[in-house]
Amino acid sequence: MSGLGELDRPATPNSPGAWDERSRECLDTGDPGAATPFDAPDGDGHPGPTTADGGLAVDGLAADGRAVGGLAVGGLAVDGLADGGLAVDGDAGAALGGARADVRAGLRSPGGAPAGGRQALAARRAAGDPVKALMHRHRELCERAVDPLEIAAGLEAHGITDRTAARFRHRDVFSLAEEMYARIPRDGDTAPRPPAPATPPGRAAWIVLTLLPGTLCAAAVAGLRLTDGRPRLVAAALGTLAVALALRAALRRGPLSAATHTGGIRTCWLVGYALLGDGLLRAALTGGPDGLPDGTAGDPWPLTAAPVLALALACAPAAWSAHLFAAGARRKLAASRGLTDFSASVRPLLFGTFALFLGALAILLAVTGAALDEPAAYPQALTLGALLLLARLLAVHGFGHAPTLLLTATAAAEATAVATVFAGRLPGCDLLAVPVETLVTAWGPAAVPTTACGIGALVLLFHAARRLTTASAHAPTETPT
Amino acid sequence: MRIGLLTEGGYPYVSGDARLWCDRLVRGLEQHEFDVYALSRSELQEGEGWVPLPPQVSRVRTAPLWGTEDDGVVYGRRARRRFAECYGELATALSRISAGDPSGAPEEASAAEADRFASALYGLAELARDEGGLAGALRSETAVGALERACRAPGAQRSAREARVPDLLAVAARLERALRPLSLDWYEDDGLGAVDLCHAASGGTAALPGLLARHFFDVPLLVTEYGVRLRAHYLTAPDATPAVRALLAAFHGRLAAEIYRRAAVITPGNAHARRWQERCGADRAKLRTVYPGMDPAPFAEAGENPGCADPGTLLWVGRVEPAKDLVSLLHAFAEVRKEEPGTRLRIVGAPSGPEGAAYLAHCKGLAAQLFPDEADGPHAVGDNPVSFEDVGGPELPSRADAYASGAVVVLASVVEGFPVGLVEAMFCGRATVSTDVGAVTEVIGGTGLVVPPRNPRALAEACVTLLRDPERRERLGAAARARAFELFTVEQNVAAFHGIYLEILSRTPVRRVVLDDAGEPLPFAAPAEAHVPGRWTGPASRVVARGGPGWATDNPVRAGHATEGAAR
Repeated sequence: MSGLGELDRPATPNSPGAWDERSRECLDTGDPGAATPFDAPDGDGHPGPTTADGGLAVDGLAADGRAVGGLAVGGLAVDGLADGGLAVDGDAGAALGGARADVRAGLRSPGGAPAGGRQALAARRAAGDPVKALMHRHRELCERAVDPLEIAAGLEAHGITDRTAARFRHRDVFSLAEEMYARIPRDGDTAPRPPAPATPPGRAAWIVLTLLPGTLCAAAVAGLRLTDGRPRLVAAALGTLAVALALRAALRRGPLSAATHTGGIRTCWLVGYALLGDGLLRAALTGGPDGLPDGTAGDPWPLTAAPVLALALACAPAAWSAHLFAAGARRKLAASRGLTDFSASVRPLLFGTFALFLGALAILLAVTGAALDEPAAYPQALTLGALLLLARLLAVHGFGHAPTLLLTATAAAEATAVATVFAGRLPGCDLLAVPVETLVTAWGPAAVPTTACGIGALVLLFHAARRLTTASAHAPTETPT
Repeated sequence: MRIGLLTEGGYPYVSGDARLWCDRLVRGLEQHEFDVYALSRSELQEGEGWVPLPPQVSRVRTAPLWGTEDDGVVYGRRARRRFAECYGELATALSRISAGDPSGAPEEASAAEADRFASALYGLAELARDEGGLAGALRSETAVGALERACRAPGAQRSAREARVPDLLAVAARLERALRPLSLDWYEDDGLGAVDLCHAASGGTAALPGLLARHFFDVPLLVTEYGVRLRAHYLTAPDATPAVRALLAAFHGRLAAEIYRRAAVITPGNAHARRWQERCGADRAKLRTVYPGMDPAPFAEAGENPGCADPGTLLWVGRVEPAKDLVSLLHAFAEVRKEEPGTRLRIVGAPSGPEGAAYLAHCKGLAAQLFPDEADGPHAVGDNPVSFEDVGGPELPSRADAYASGAVVVLASVVEGFPVGLVEAMFCGRATVSTDVGAVTEVIGGTGLVVPPRNPRALAEACVTLLRDPERRERLGAAARARAFELFTVEQNVAAFHGIYLEILSRTPVRRVVLDDAGEPLPFAAPAEAHVPGRWTGPASRVVARGGPGWATDNPVRAGHATEGAAR
């Protein structure tokens, strides 16, 4: 019949009773009864009303102690736990252990001491305030209870039955619990809050992983620069594959990992455009391209590797920004009282971490531009980086819909720009190429991705300012129970 | 009759709670059809698979209550507004002073709050049925905002007023989990709409689908609680801030009240559960105590030979854990030894968990200190009068053998639910001494001695009394055995539920009308018992009485089956 008995008794009591000081002392000391320091009531059985709480019950106890006379230890110690009732523990839970040990000592010792103790017990129970003593004994339960039923459940788990409740002049445990609940002092001080959950471990792994795409990308670019002909093609293919895999690994773990699926293909397209798009557009406007890019300096379709390398390297600052944002938001979550407070305090954090990332990306762009001896393509790379970071942040916090939409739109805009230029070559379709041509003649080929990504990033920034500042975006993921 | 059996973390999973009871019920009532709707509690549970199902289980539908599932449903503007209204109502109902609070609301106010809770719950269920899953919405900012407004509103209870943002998030997440049954696709005409009766194997979340089936299709609901879910919630709820605990306790309390209010019949497993249910608002007229059933077969041999026991042996059988208070038992045994020096104590059972193992080690230490080893003479090897054993070894193959060896079975627990060990001892016809905890008194009735818990002296006195009086021991044992056979057998349990099913159905209006060829409604077209055991026709055909139809003389199907089961 497994299960039925256990169903009704879901918890083991963790305080008095079955296993307690008494048993431990029995094991620790050879002769528990004699060796136990009996420290609650001293010589004349008067512990002194140290707390207002213990006062009433203790008075009764002391009076009985005197009435019964000499049975100092045995009589006082038998304090009602023998039959599961109330415990008049002098002023601290520690006394309970000593008292219990003596119950047994009393039981084992022959003669009249236990009988005398029983009389004292009966007399003492009549006096005083038994419910107060009970509340003192179960003070933890009372302090944390949010309604009377919780106290009732706790009392029952400690072995108090309706029969015990009858000794407190109550019909059942429920009404006893109600009295206890009503008598809990509510002086307005709130219970200490549990400490905030610690940051999840495994930081080293993601730090290494976020450095991986940048490193591999640098190696790939070096390979492109140092090889020629067929090996260059192989290096390019291997480099692309390695960077893609590293990026995938970096986004699986750490602060950039998202539960929802976001457009990997769109991201690849956008990065690919950053690598090849400007050159293609320029070549297309001048009547080309006549062949595939070969990566040489004098090629009419040049590769712009610097921004791509910078973006790959920016994985690490992106992860750190996301981590800072998430950690800061968690802290603010624990500290804020209302939802509006939280939003107000998180908004600067969002903008701050976003600016931090842009700054880091700008520095990386300058460095890679100098190292590769290419013009640092600030506008297009910064807007693309901003777009990708915001899309990722939103996806990480559970808003995968808008980023997917925006990334698709941006990629489509870039593709359309190039397509219109080629379409303009068809007879009668000259007009199609006019907008892009105007744009490029005014600001250069970088204007196309800058505009597309810039608009996308702006929209996402507005979206993020609304969505990422809500508390539900930062709800801790619950561990399954 | 087609019965929708609703479980949560139970049958048909191998590791489920109370799966044995459900299995016996389903196997015992083979004339009915069972649809099992199971909610699984963890991935581990789902991975462990199902118990073998009998043919009367026609379908099993499961849904997980674990993991974070995003069904990707995005509500439109109107659905969002509807959700905000319903969830706001729900939050308001939870944040108000609870019904059980003596300092609070008068009767009408609490009834109004209960209605508010119910309408909000059904509103959310209807929304989920019309628009798709609630999971996203229940975790959204709308939900958290609604909770915050409800907690800050005037009239909110004290602990709820202190709720901070993490608390609100925690409550929203826990409510999402608890309300997951609302988003299921079970509430269709071919799902729970097709059953005649919903039988929830426990209260709380398991009964929620039954509540909705009642709301959508007027399917009557039967709730069986062997352990009160609300009480379990109080005892097992993880540590959280007062605000979280207050709001969740309010939710579970109101859910329990709503379940009790809507259920056609509630069957508590013992008087203790019954008291809790009454306390939570269950109508006494709906309550029928149905004791859990146990299989007496393994204990038949021990029960039929009461003389085989060693007259000087006390026996304790169970799982070793602190709640069993073996320390008290050892102290009591020390007293017994003073009166009856030759007595022995056998403690039979394995520890449960690491805490139990530590406790067992301490008990062994205590026993070694209290009782020195004894030998028959100067040249014999001695041993301890207290022995710690476990069933399964060559000496003690089963629990029944353990019971057979003892003259008096002792139970010293400080906390106990339904005392299974005590019932086993009763089946074995053993005299028992037990502590007055849990359902012990109602189980034992007058057929054993009961002492207060944590009173080793009283326990010792009772044991000595029985040890010295073999006649009384025998008398009590026989009475206990008779009582156990009357109240705690599987047949009793199954028959009780069978009767309750028919009773509920007899009070429920016919929902599906079967039409005959002429388009007229056909009365009695869907009989309560569509399946009968055995074959309709056979070589041993029934004797048809003169002047009456054949079915009139036929025994009620159930009765025939019950005797057959008893004979087995």
